[in-house]
Amino acid sequence: MNRTSQPTSSPLSRREFLTSALAVGGGLALSFSLPAQEGGPPRPAGPPAAPRSPSAFLQIAANGAITIITPAVEMGQGGHTGMPMIILEELGGDLKQLVVKDAPAEKMYNNPLFGQQSTVGSFSVRGWYTELRRIGAAGREMLVAAAAREWGVSPAECTAANSVITHKPSGRTKTYGSVAALAATMPVPQNPALKDNSEFKVIGTSPPRTDVAPKVDGSAKYGIDMVLPGMLVGAIKAAPTVTGTLKSFDDSAARGMKGFHSTVALPNGVIVLANTYWQAKSALEKVKVDFDPGKLGGIDSAKVSALLHSGFNEQGAVVRNDGDADKALAGAARVVEATYEVPYLAHACMEPMNCTVRANGDTAEVWVGTQSPQAVQAAAAKALGLAQERVTVHMQYLGGGFGRRGESDYAMQAATAAKASGRPVKLIWSREEDIQHDFYRPAAAIRFRGGLDASGKLTAMEARVVTSAAPSFGGPPNAGFYTSSVGDMVYDIPNLKVTGINKDIGLRFGFWRSVNQSHNPFMVEGFLDEIAFATKQDPYLFRRSLLQHEKAKRHLAVLDMLAEKSGWSKRPAGHFYGISAFAAYGSFIGSVVDVSMQDKTIVLNRVVTVIDCGVAVHPDNIVAQLEGGMVYGLTAALRGEITLQDGAVVQSNFHNYPMLMMSQMPKTESYIMPSTAAPGGVGEPGTAPIAPSLASAIFAATASRIRSLPLSKHNVDIIAARA
Amino acid sequence: MIKLNINGKQVDLDADADTPLLWALRDDAGLTGTKFGCGMGLCGACTVLLDGQVVRSCVLKIGDVGTKAITTIEGLSPDRSHPVQKAWIAENVPQCGYCQSGQILAAVALLKANPKPTDADIDAAMTNICRCGTYNRMRAAIHRVAKGTTS
Repeated sequence: MNRTSQPTSSPLSRREFLTSALAVGGGLALSFSLPAQEGGPPRPAGPPAAPRSPSAFLQIAANGAITIITPAVEMGQGGHTGMPMIILEELGGDLKQLVVKDAPAEKMYNNPLFGQQSTVGSFSVRGWYTELRRIGAAGREMLVAAAAREWGVSPAECTAANSVITHKPSGRTKTYGSVAALAATMPVPQNPALKDNSEFKVIGTSPPRTDVAPKVDGSAKYGIDMVLPGMLVGAIKAAPTVTGTLKSFDDSAARGMKGFHSTVALPNGVIVLANTYWQAKSALEKVKVDFDPGKLGGIDSAKVSALLHSGFNEQGAVVRNDGDADKALAGAARVVEATYEVPYLAHACMEPMNCTVRANGDTAEVWVGTQSPQAVQAAAAKALGLAQERVTVHMQYLGGGFGRRGESDYAMQAATAAKASGRPVKLIWSREEDIQHDFYRPAAAIRFRGGLDASGKLTAMEARVVTSAAPSFGGPPNAGFYTSSVGDMVYDIPNLKVTGINKDIGLRFGFWRSVNQSHNPFMVEGFLDEIAFATKQDPYLFRRSLLQHEKAKRHLAVLDMLAEKSGWSKRPAGHFYGISAFAAYGSFIGSVVDVSMQDKTIVLNRVVTVIDCGVAVHPDNIVAQLEGGMVYGLTAALRGEITLQDGAVVQSNFHNYPMLMMSQMPKTESYIMPSTAAPGGVGEPGTAPIAPSLASAIFAATASRIRSLPLSKHNVDIIAARA
Repeated sequence: MIKLNINGKQVDLDADADTPLLWALRDDAGLTGTKFGCGMGLCGACTVLLDGQVVRSCVLKIGDVGTKAITTIEGLSPDRSHPVQKAWIAENVPQCGYCQSGQILAAVALLKANPKPTDADIDAAMTNICRCGTYNRMRAAIHRVAKGTTS
């Protein structure tokens, strides 16, 4: 495997794509030519929705190099390894010859599951799995056909593996590279034969990730590392409220400073441009700026909470209505009620937002780490007054994404500054800008009522789900979205009513790793735990009793595996366990948290996680994602909270928006359910179970029920166990 | 003009004395392996070694560096052959990777001072933030170096 690959090059020009397509009479072919040269002329405008061509994903050079263009960017989740592995599996390609490149901003790279070129929603492997296998298999069949023609034999007598084609009767061999040019002229098989899962040699193994080596010597290039001749560097100050607008600024005190170039006005702030970042930042501090706070002015966190609670009494949109929950609750022998609430959260990617833009007259180039190349392309084009396809996006490694880099606000700003200055511009946000101008995981709350009959059986549940912000997806806010994990729960409750209420406060919505699953399972699983306790049932066995039906089979299997792996029924004296499991992103996920008490301090002994993600493409990376997701969720559960004061975010840097550290890291055990089912998501599910499982364990240990986060509000001290 | 000793070379930088070492390294010396994370010395993404000791370069002015030897991630080895780099690769540690230059240098300093660190020693010395949560793999990589089984 080529372990020095950089994601920066433009893999395949439109012109080359068209040339190779024309070469086979207008059909779509694998382009087994050498990779496109870098730094060529800008691509001419292409058709708006090009059909998906294998040549856009796979190229084989005469020297045997297998270039795979991945539609999933690399932000640490393994997109540059897992996606190529799927093609290589069917191609029979040698992993050691792999060169990975990022896809350019092109509609043909739109994810088949949701129609956008975005590395989001744990959609990459599950969206592309079948398509990438077909591309790899088509390539293999064309290479075999080419070799068979050269030998004058039937392709049926040939096999292909490790980048070598073998003619079985004679034992003759040819390398993929030696027949690549001829293979490019072969017709593309429309229904290439795919392997049976039992034949997999690559999928299910854990080769070194392609991006690891450049990340241990400083050579990996992130957006922030871009340098261009004549480039200015920008520092930004935006209005304290995210709804704010710029009224006026005075940069007279900055103008004489060393390296100062100019001040660029934005609708909501100013950018100071200078020769270096430190010069720009120093000059920015001398600029006086006046803002109008906009819609959020006067809003503070107490008001947010009051608005959420006022939503409980509104009609809202009913998303689930099994049986008659109102009647059943009215007639219940006992009703258990509880209200759960969570705060806003920021993403806090380690690499602050940044973007580099160079305008070249009627074209432009953007260098950026982004989850959504086309969104960046559109934002830069709009700021520059260009058609979208005139903008080339050069993809860089992402220093964290987590949903934040699906947005393109910083690209719009950088392009505005490049246009205003007539120079290439690298815009770098400060950490303070990053925390205070995020797209936030919304504050949210659920009020539950559970109805028990005389025997203690849970016969009814009502959940009123209130969010402080919901995305529109181009239409009205969809209650089915922000009630997910509640409205679609599979627990067997005969009378179940779930209502969504959107109390949009004006703080912009952000897709934050695991999105709705970052809070709804905490609340649903917490309430179920309360029902188990109220009816004196074991939390695991109680959940089990509600999952005895066909639709809950995989959910139940994860729960059972958790109990087995954690030793649920053999809890040592002094150890208290909490459990949760649910569906998320096409997978099934759960965890058991094991705590004990040291005086009044809670000792986190270990976190046991189980996922059923269908076929596991790269098991070691899945484990890494489960651990990383857990840390993301635990960080939020312990101390994560964004608060508002007069509409502005109070937190500003890691001293008041703290992150989990090495000393707080618990021991982890992660298990992957063996499966041949279609792949599910992996990057986000791991974030979700830690909060409910930890809250459940804390209750088991202390009889104190955690119904809101973060835990720091509850005077709970938690430390990680050390041997 | 300020003279600095970076990765064994004397370098003249055209930067003011109050420029943080981080930005002098990145913008003036062209060494972008050292990362900007917070600007307040809180996260450790900008960690470099000064005469072998860990410093957070975003809060150290170049006028205060003097003749001390600066080691950045680029100066650790020419070919990823430092035992800590090898262990990091063996454990597949990095995810997004942005904090890892600083994490690796912190581990180098720890292991030099304490070749057989306990978990408590690692907790105390490894105080840089990793938002991707690679802590347990970093811990395993440090123990791997201590045991001499880096590859």
